[in-house]
Amino acid sequence: MRLLVERFPETARDLWTDEDTVEVQLPRDAVVETLRTLRDDPEFGFFMLADAAAVDYGIGHHFEVVYHLFSDRHPAWLRVRVPVERANPRTPSVTSLWTGAMFHEREMYDMMGIVFEGNRDLRRIYMSPDYRSFPQRKDFLLPDDAADSSAAGVNPLERPETWDLTTFSRELTSSAATYPPPDTQVDVPAEAYPHGQESADKSRPA
Amino acid sequence: MTAVDPETRIPDPIDLDRGEEARLRAAAGLAPPSAAAGSEYAGFELVGVPDRPLQTEREREMYTLEEGEMLLNMGPQHPSTHGVLRLVVKIRGEMVTDLDPVFGYLHRGIEKLCENATYTTVLTYVDPMDYLASMHNEHAPAIAFEKLFGIQAPRRAEYIRALVVELNRVFSHGLMIGFLALDMGGLTPILYSFINRDDVVELLAAISGQRMLFNFFRVGGVNWDVNDEFLSRLGTWHGTVMKSIGDNEKLITENEIFKGRTRGMGILSGKQAIAYGVTGPNLRASGVPFDVRKAHPYSIYDELEFDVITQQSGDVYARYLQRIDEIKQSLHLIDQIMDKMPHGPVQAQVPGIIRPKPGRAYGAVESPRGLYSVYAISDGGPTPYRFRMRDPSFISLQVMPMLMPGHLIADTMAIMASLDPVMGGVDK
Repeated sequence: MRLLVERFPETARDLWTDEDTVEVQLPRDAVVETLRTLRDDPEFGFFMLADAAAVDYGIGHHFEVVYHLFSDRHPAWLRVRVPVERANPRTPSVTSLWTGAMFHEREMYDMMGIVFEGNRDLRRIYMSPDYRSFPQRKDFLLPDDAADSSAAGVNPLERPETWDLTTFSRELTSSAATYPPPDTQVDVPAEAYPHGQESADKSRPA
Repeated sequence: MTAVDPETRIPDPIDLDRGEEARLRAAAGLAPPSAAAGSEYAGFELVGVPDRPLQTEREREMYTLEEGEMLLNMGPQHPSTHGVLRLVVKIRGEMVTDLDPVFGYLHRGIEKLCENATYTTVLTYVDPMDYLASMHNEHAPAIAFEKLFGIQAPRRAEYIRALVVELNRVFSHGLMIGFLALDMGGLTPILYSFINRDDVVELLAAISGQRMLFNFFRVGGVNWDVNDEFLSRLGTWHGTVMKSIGDNEKLITENEIFKGRTRGMGILSGKQAIAYGVTGPNLRASGVPFDVRKAHPYSIYDELEFDVITQQSGDVYARYLQRIDEIKQSLHLIDQIMDKMPHGPVQAQVPGIIRPKPGRAYGAVESPRGLYSVYAISDGGPTPYRFRMRDPSFISLQVMPMLMPGHLIADTMAIMASLDPVMGGVDK
């Protein structure tokens, strides 16, 4: 969209336009500010976040977070693509603009392992909390694809330690369990765990 | 409580679990669990609290109890959670103070499966997602794939598509009304809803061959043209449907108990609804006239005449009235579609294995639960490189923690039923 590129000459990159979608690319540092302008400026009026999805472009390439926005002033969907490094999959959260981005971001974290900085509830949403992999990444292969994998004959479905039940149960009960996995560790202060005598007593009916 | 000799009594499963936990902790070199071992409340105080360190700010806020609060676990096998939804409810007496929905019990990884299936077979995988709106589930990918492939379905096919999705919307809204009444203790309306649903489902079975997972849409058209059985059933159904809706309305709309339990409950303002991503009838019941059929007309909706109905109050009762009005609107649309349906083929010429050019496409439809959209990326191969589905009920459930505080436990299910989530779609 011409208007968009005029208004954000440094950040927005016009990619293509088809009959009902306009596509732009933004660097991740500029996402929140640009989306805020798109939402609040009456010239744009993209008040609704229709969809937020993550795409994996494969090993050696990057992730991408894709937002689809709706405006009642423009006849097209706006698609905002935000590349995210694969080695350091972090991007700012947009939950401050749309509270409803919460579940989108939790799903993206669960499925792709992208960490949204500023999201106050970033935990797994579909998989169990002790799950260690990110199933929608392209290097997570289904059993049918094992023959296509780089190590044919070995099924790299999961990291091996996940299937080792002795390790697994020790991790569950160990207070030093590293969850989320080290590369996506969110800082949690140790005193925050409410397990213990005190909280237990309070839950009793008086 | 009478004292029981610990040697002779039958071991309690909870005690066995605790023994197991103690054994694992000992194996890991940790101290035994500290929580009130030996107390008659042992094992009960932590119900609902995750068995692991709490990870996020929100989770700590939810699972840290203040004086007089306790956690109550509803589901995933609760009879009125519409499937396998689990709600952890924080209560103070009978009053809900916070709520945490837990998903994933029905997660099948449909997106991943679709990325490993050809474009034709994707349309069969998406059926069981939102199983009360299978036709809508197939519509959005069909639109997205046609954009990717650069083909257009014949006009008769587009009319048949609009016809079946509107029929689907009628029975889906009808069931929502029944379930809403059922969750508040009224058993009769659900029976009428299922009778009405059965008529529509038989109608759709006549055209598609299946009652629930229709597998009717194809890339570039639909599977079958309308046939005699379908037309004769449609005529019969059309003659009686207004009466059965009227019957249902007589049971519910002016019912004092129903009104008393729904009016002014779970009020969602238009601003909040937009911020939380709520779409569809729930958003329109809050006064925001957003309907994908009008906002981004797909299929043949720009040729049909219909209104975007809204309610103003945004409570459970408004969401109920919204469904009734939308059923009538859908019947109005079905009339127009049957009048205007042109002759011609129902399927475009499409190769057996579809290999679109590399590109991206976004297809969005208005499902009975709101904006259902598909974002598909092609890399030129026979399968979609990325296949993303945005399910409206998944996003709508986010408002539950915001709506519930201040309501009674018994109203949890009424408010949830008024949002009309379908767990097949929520968990994908």
